[in-house]
Amino acid sequence: MEAALARRTPLERILINARRKLPAIVIFVFSLLLAIAIAVKAGPAQLLNVIVTGGMWALLAAGLALVFGVMNIPQFAHGESFMVGAYIGYAVFTALTSYLEKHPSHLLSILTPNVGVVAALIVGAVMGIAIEKIAISPLRQRNRSGWVMNTFLLTAGLSFILTNGTMLVVGPNFRGIPRYFDFPSLDILGVNVAVDRIWAFGIALISITALALFLQRTRTGRAIRAVSQDETGAELVGINLSSVHTLTFSLATAVAAMAGAAMLFMFQAYPTVGLRPLYLSWYVVMLVGLGNVYGAIVGGFVVALLEMGSQQFIGIAWADVIPVGLMIVVLLLVPSGIFGSEVKSVQEQ
Amino acid sequence: MLELRNLNSGYDFLQIIWDVSLHVNEGEFVALVGPNGAGKTTTLRTIAGLLQPKSGDVLFKGQSITHRLSPGFSIGGGGRPSGLRLGRKKRYRPASERSQLGISYISEGLNLFTNMSVRENLILGAHTVNDKKKELEALEFVYHLFPRLKEREKQLAGTMSGGERKMLAIARGMMSSPQLLLVDEPSLGLAPHLAQDVFRALLELRARDVTILLVEQNVNTTLEITDRAYVLEHGRIVMEGPSKELKANEHVRSAYLGI
Repeated sequence: MEAALARRTPLERILINARRKLPAIVIFVFSLLLAIAIAVKAGPAQLLNVIVTGGMWALLAAGLALVFGVMNIPQFAHGESFMVGAYIGYAVFTALTSYLEKHPSHLLSILTPNVGVVAALIVGAVMGIAIEKIAISPLRQRNRSGWVMNTFLLTAGLSFILTNGTMLVVGPNFRGIPRYFDFPSLDILGVNVAVDRIWAFGIALISITALALFLQRTRTGRAIRAVSQDETGAELVGINLSSVHTLTFSLATAVAAMAGAAMLFMFQAYPTVGLRPLYLSWYVVMLVGLGNVYGAIVGGFVVALLEMGSQQFIGIAWADVIPVGLMIVVLLLVPSGIFGSEVKSVQEQ
Repeated sequence: MLELRNLNSGYDFLQIIWDVSLHVNEGEFVALVGPNGAGKTTTLRTIAGLLQPKSGDVLFKGQSITHRLSPGFSIGGGGRPSGLRLGRKKRYRPASERSQLGISYISEGLNLFTNMSVRENLILGAHTVNDKKKELEALEFVYHLFPRLKEREKQLAGTMSGGERKMLAIARGMMSSPQLLLVDEPSLGLAPHLAQDVFRALLELRARDVTILLVEQNVNTTLEITDRAYVLEHGRIVMEGPSKELKANEHVRSAYLGI
């Protein structure tokens, strides 16, 4: 293909590449126009909201794409990781805040939300390792036929257990916090922005960058990518599959939990808080192409934009309908997703 | 260096190889030939650990590499057969350990990482090598052996031609500086001059003291370049001996060389 391309004139090459990437270009242009429309109608503050939620969906979707690409597992308990993170964030934050009331400290009050996020990250990681080792790894040893369907049922059942278990143990009440940081809103380019949102976006940005660098530059990250591309090949070069699987799963869970804690000011903690993030991250993953991690990151922002767009122009009741509708249209026209699926047929694995 | 003892292996309900015993001494270049479906790939996959044998053993440098005993305790004999073993389960060693032992398997399907560049594929080949310096040395060696790979260092593995991919697969296998190379039908699907390139590369590796077990359908060239050969038919070893002798053998000549 590359050789054939080399024989064409530069203009022809651009056009051929453009046609291959047409779905991505269409979405890019569409997103740009939508963003401008939103800014015009509702003001740039809403665009900032889009960026904040977009960052979170990007993180969630990236984890989901990673798990599907590397382990071929459709993770339907992903929202529960978010939920657990939210609860941990809440618990840590309220505990530290009541401590701070007795021993006020400016420094600590800034650190407190970050402690909650880190705690959620750790708890999420542990939870991920536990689930992988208890439920998934044994299944893999026993029987690999019907893997995708089986793991789907497994994770769906797990979701059920986790949501109802939480309801049983902690009760169905919403646990929320008014705000994370006690600072007045900042004024950025004429827009009033809450510090909480900037901080959440900062976390998303740092995490996404860290994830990308980890996957691209480190030995372990490379091993993870190798397993997602050719499991047998990875085994042959000496990569320990079970370690990679455990690591990938717990990474996805940890990141989702971190997102849950970081978004506590927007999404309160309650047993079923994870359902919407689950659906949205699955929309993203299906839209961009299964297993495509970097596409999922971009897709997170696109879906957040779509949400906001449908909210602004059609009405809040339609906020979920439009992304799903678009996904249906995209899958009808481009089944492998906008950016192309990176998962080989499961049977080949 | 490598010994197969009464190996029986196959898939689930279908047994492919029956009571296969063979050995490869250090520094030898041994061939395993036979018709399609004879079980040559099954044999290699069992050695590489991708398949678990139904019975029999694979020994590398005198040690069994097919299973390890999980920790437990035994009464009386300890490691000896006379002892009573309690609570020790035979667990199969994963294929990923073979690379660390010094065995590299170049599979028929190549199993390249198609969305990664040539260089990344090679670096991954040295995954078990913890020494950065050794890794770079191996890379240099491999580029010297296959200059065309260096030219296409940044090209995605999936976009390369068949011959180049075979080179890449062999090169990747060599990155861990293995002592034993298992090569599965490298000339399959290649134009004759490319197949000769591959065989030439294998001979050069052999000159550097790499022990090679080659599985091939191209019996003619294979018997030319190897020291010894085994003939596998219907999952059983039917003939073995120095390659020169086999080349002169009546059965081999009529069945495989078309003479």
